[in-house]
Amino acid sequence: MSATPAAAEPLVSLEGISQRYITDGGEVVHALAETDLDIPRGQFVCVVGPSGCGKTTLLKVIAGFLTPTGGSARCAGEPITGPGAGRGVVFQQPNLYPWFSVRENVALGMRIRGISKKERAERAQEHLELVGLGDFGDKRPYELSGGMQQRAQIARVLANDSEVVLMDEPFGALDAITRARLQADLLALQRAQNRTVLFITHDVDEAVFLGDRVLVMSARPGRIVLDQEITLSAHAGKQLGEEMRRMPEFIELRERIAGAIEH
Amino acid sequence: MSTTASAADASAEVATRARRSRSRRTLRTRALQAAVLLLVILLWWAVAALRLIDPLYLPGPGAVLSAFVDANRCLVVDEASGRTVCGVQNYYLWEHLVASLQRIGLGVALAVVAGVVLGFLMSMWEPVNTALAPYLNFLRALPPLGYIGLIIVWVGIGDTSKYLLLFLAAFPPIVIATIDGVRGVREDQVLAARSMGAGPVDVARYVVLPAAAASILSGVRLSVGFAWTTVVAAELNNGIPGIGGLAYISGTQLNTPLTIACIIVIGLVAVALDGCIRLVGDRLTPWHGKV
Repeated sequence: MSATPAAAEPLVSLEGISQRYITDGGEVVHALAETDLDIPRGQFVCVVGPSGCGKTTLLKVIAGFLTPTGGSARCAGEPITGPGAGRGVVFQQPNLYPWFSVRENVALGMRIRGISKKERAERAQEHLELVGLGDFGDKRPYELSGGMQQRAQIARVLANDSEVVLMDEPFGALDAITRARLQADLLALQRAQNRTVLFITHDVDEAVFLGDRVLVMSARPGRIVLDQEITLSAHAGKQLGEEMRRMPEFIELRERIAGAIEH
Repeated sequence: MSTTASAADASAEVATRARRSRSRRTLRTRALQAAVLLLVILLWWAVAALRLIDPLYLPGPGAVLSAFVDANRCLVVDEASGRTVCGVQNYYLWEHLVASLQRIGLGVALAVVAGVVLGFLMSMWEPVNTALAPYLNFLRALPPLGYIGLIIVWVGIGDTSKYLLLFLAAFPPIVIATIDGVRGVREDQVLAARSMGAGPVDVARYVVLPAAAASILSGVRLSVGFAWTTVVAAELNNGIPGIGGLAYISGTQLNTPLTIACIIVIGLVAVALDGCIRLVGDRLTPWHGKV
């Protein structure tokens, strides 16, 4: 899937994107040096790097939360001028709306886009089941655990049919066991639906586990220092789940990426 | 699955136990409050019965109670002609109360509508805030009694002046609470909605308004409180029917039992009203404080 020939143009295309800002002390900070990035449809891209390396800046530019100081960003051929339904975002902190039930949260994007009530209810339930929350639709978000809230947040973005799913360290605040479970489920979901994902993390293991491709970023100025394709013997390797982590190739990739971060 | 079931049982049991100990605590609190109330009434009765204070200044509980009862029924004042007088000042006490509640209701309702709209404008559009905030603070700092005279000169002694005064008293806290609520909306919740395709109206409707609701409701609570304290001032002139006007007039006529009865009614109704608004607020924003 990662090696689709040049038939279609990339879904997300960044050309010479840069981001600078001036601190209160008058110092110019280069959050992101001129960066090019193409993301083909259906690819799962992970971005790793230390804090302050510009990985979140990259996500915010694609999400349309931030207008870059230089370069051009396009999604599905259209220039990115602001947030839009085509680019859904899963945030690090659970941010479901407590005034809606879990189901209403998942259906909100469809409600905004004027999809009929019946279809909304069906698709919301379908996506709740996909993330393992089939029985929790009528709960309020604060009645769910942190891991379940993140699952619901993922369902909310997937149900809205966005072309790109942008995830900003969504599992960063979860305990190790919950995180591993969510990683496996997310990977299965992405494979089943052939979604395009940009996933920010500081966890190398997570990046290699999830990504078809891992970008390593480095700080000052923020830039991509390694663009590593993740090919495990037969792509079916990704289907292995937890087993994958013990494959020699996996360990080797993980070390190469960890090495790139240290430089 | 069985572990989650037993976990659910365990948590249900913990919840029951917590509820039980909480209800025991409320019972103790209520008992203490009832005992103090009884003591105060007893003391009041004793002071009045022993005539430690002239009954003109401090009538006993019995006199106040009978003033209250008489104000709610018709009395034969002249046996010979059979002429009867109903209530006081031609209205039953409850009618005076209803008249005041109507004034407060309309004044506060207008204040809620105008206050929420202005609060939204001021918090979403900085120039409006910069321009209007000083005047809002000025208005808020003024005691309503200070400008009641001016309002009467402007709009007359009728009901309009009372609505206007209550509106002006109730309006600033709602604007301020709305601004606080809107400013407190989490940015990531707004961005999440925009990433689902929400425009400004959708964001206001699905995110900002519900997020600010709890704050707005506490502003309403505050402003109803202000309106109550202002109602006596509003009814000083031509305030009959009106519980505030009745309290004032009965005082000037040295009818202290009725004055005290009015004061007690005003206080009790204010507390009950506040409790109702809080209850409705909790019902409307059950998520408040839970995230």
